[in-house]
Amino acid sequence: MLPFTFHAPTRILFGEHTAGSIADVVKEFGGKKSFIVTDANLFKAGVVAPIIESLEAAGLGRTAIFDQVPPDSDIRCVNSAVAMAAEGGCDNIVAVGGGSVIDTAKVVNICLTYGGDMLDYQGLNNLPSKLSPLVCVPTTAGTGSEVSLVAMIKDAEERKKLLFGSRFLAPDAAILDPCLVVGLPPRLTAATGFDALTHSLEALAAVSTSSVISDALALEAAKLIFEHLPAATADGADLEARSHTLVASTMAGLAFTNAGVGIVHAMAHATGARFGTHHGMTNAVYLPYGLEFNLSAVPDKYALAARFLGISRSADDERAAMDLVDGVRKLMQRCHLPSRLREIGVPDIAEGELAELAEAAVTDPAIMFNPREATVEDIGGIFKGAF
Amino acid sequence: MVFTSSEELERILMDLWGRIKSDPSMSGELVRSKLIVQFRYREPEGCLTVDGSDGQELKLVWGQYDKKPTIEMSMKADVAHEFWMGRVSVPVAVLTGKMVSKGPTPKALALLPVIRPAFNIYPEVLKQAGKEALLASG
Ligand SMILES: NC(=O)c1ccc[n+]([C@@H]2O[C@H](COP(=O)([O-])OP(=O)(O)OC[C@H]3O[C@@H](n4cnc5c(N)ncnc54)[C@H](O)[C@@H]3O)[C@@H](O)[C@H]2O)c1
Ligand SMILES: [Fe+2]
Repeated sequence: MLPFTFHAPTRILFGEHTAGSIADVVKEFGGKKSFIVTDANLFKAGVVAPIIESLEAAGLGRTAIFDQVPPDSDIRCVNSAVAMAAEGGCDNIVAVGGGSVIDTAKVVNICLTYGGDMLDYQGLNNLPSKLSPLVCVPTTAGTGSEVSLVAMIKDAEERKKLLFGSRFLAPDAAILDPCLVVGLPPRLTAATGFDALTHSLEALAAVSTSSVISDALALEAAKLIFEHLPAATADGADLEARSHTLVASTMAGLAFTNAGVGIVHAMAHATGARFGTHHGMTNAVYLPYGLEFNLSAVPDKYALAARFLGISRSADDERAAMDLVDGVRKLMQRCHLPSRLREIGVPDIAEGELAELAEAAVTDPAIMFNPREATVEDIGGIFKGAF
Repeated sequence: MVFTSSEELERILMDLWGRIKSDPSMSGELVRSKLIVQFRYREPEGCLTVDGSDGQELKLVWGQYDKKPTIEMSMKADVAHEFWMGRVSVPVAVLTGKMVSKGPTPKALALLPVIRPAFNIYPEVLKQAGKEALLASG
């Protein structure tokens, strides 16, 4: 067996209504004054209420609540949150929201802990020491950011995302409470679920960095998503379906943060930065194409997944791998996800712009984990196919 | 430690980068990128800056440099040796923390294919420096 490292420093707590006891967790990490990061929708919908109640009852706040995180948060948002947290004298952060909120909280934590300009900390393994306590409560079942070692923040002017990656970025605790995900609309439920599925299938295929541990997590996560995402999409109040997809997204998060992602994420990052499309939705559209592209490089891995998911009985790896692609397309249909880029707001672009987009994808950090080398032409071809 | 002193590290890497500079297929791309890339080594210590920012000529500077680099890459000198030998999986080095990159990661990654031809030059540089024993060690 090849050597590997596996990081899973985040304490994971799962249960209906566990968010109501968040104060105990914050206290254990030594937090005294919490800074809550969330978005306006969630705040208005009352999703954050049990968390505020718990913190207040324990005498840990209400010090400051920043509820202005936009989807795909940016530098400006981080800076205003940092100013507010510093003014409030907060010593720990509680993030309640989807990937946009959690990524914002991570970068706010960098600025709050070390001071200075966030640009000095972008890069890989570029954080000097442990950050202040961060507890994350995901309200989407998708990004896995509640356990991942990365965060991405948009540089709106440059139309690109800043990447921060460090083992110190893993949150201290993730509280998985399916009750908080109930209000997520069907389209976003399906899209975020496909973000998690993409994490799982790309981590599985990242053969130079994956391990038996990441494979096990990736496979089981994919299985839970295949089994429960249609129900979670059809009936948001189905707590069993919500629970399984939520835990699956965290498992897929652990898998990808240790093994990496691949071409689908690289293309989704490039496309999202350019056209503002939702991360999970964009992944979903590219996923079947990415699988087809990699099929010749990792037929065994895809076949393993197809058999594990019960969607192929073929003994032939290539055949089984093709069954996986089919299975993914069928799952998209069952979740009523669009299958074309133009359906998610991507305009038909000229060759020159396509070349720029492809260039962004081939230099996206996600692509270095992909099992098959992709050229600018390959990416252009996939884009046209998916359009 | 592969390199016995900072002086030896300097001699070998400056020789390698001198050859990269005189190969237009590599230096042309580096100059076109207009990037300033700084490599910081430890065990033994060393710092090399490759500056293509004027868009004309690639500057190679060992030691202190006054301009702010676009990208900083830090690693043990042993990791750099393994890298030039073509034995480092960059994703693995990134995930295990052996390589540290500061600055815009996509720009750093875009340079990888550009300098890859230097993997073929490095063994010759080691021979010139009397370090061919390193080539035999698998
Ligand atoms: N750091 C990582 O590991 C990682 C991994 C993947 C993606 N991401 C990032 O995550 C972001 C996407 O995150 P996301 O997909 O979770 O979406 P999101 O956080 O952008 O949220 C999308 C929308 O859903 C709403 N929403 C969230 N939870 C809700 C709920 N329970 N009820 C009702 N509405 C709710 C939000 O208000 C928002 O309008 C992207 O910026 C992406 O880059 C990060
Ligand atoms: Fe993702």
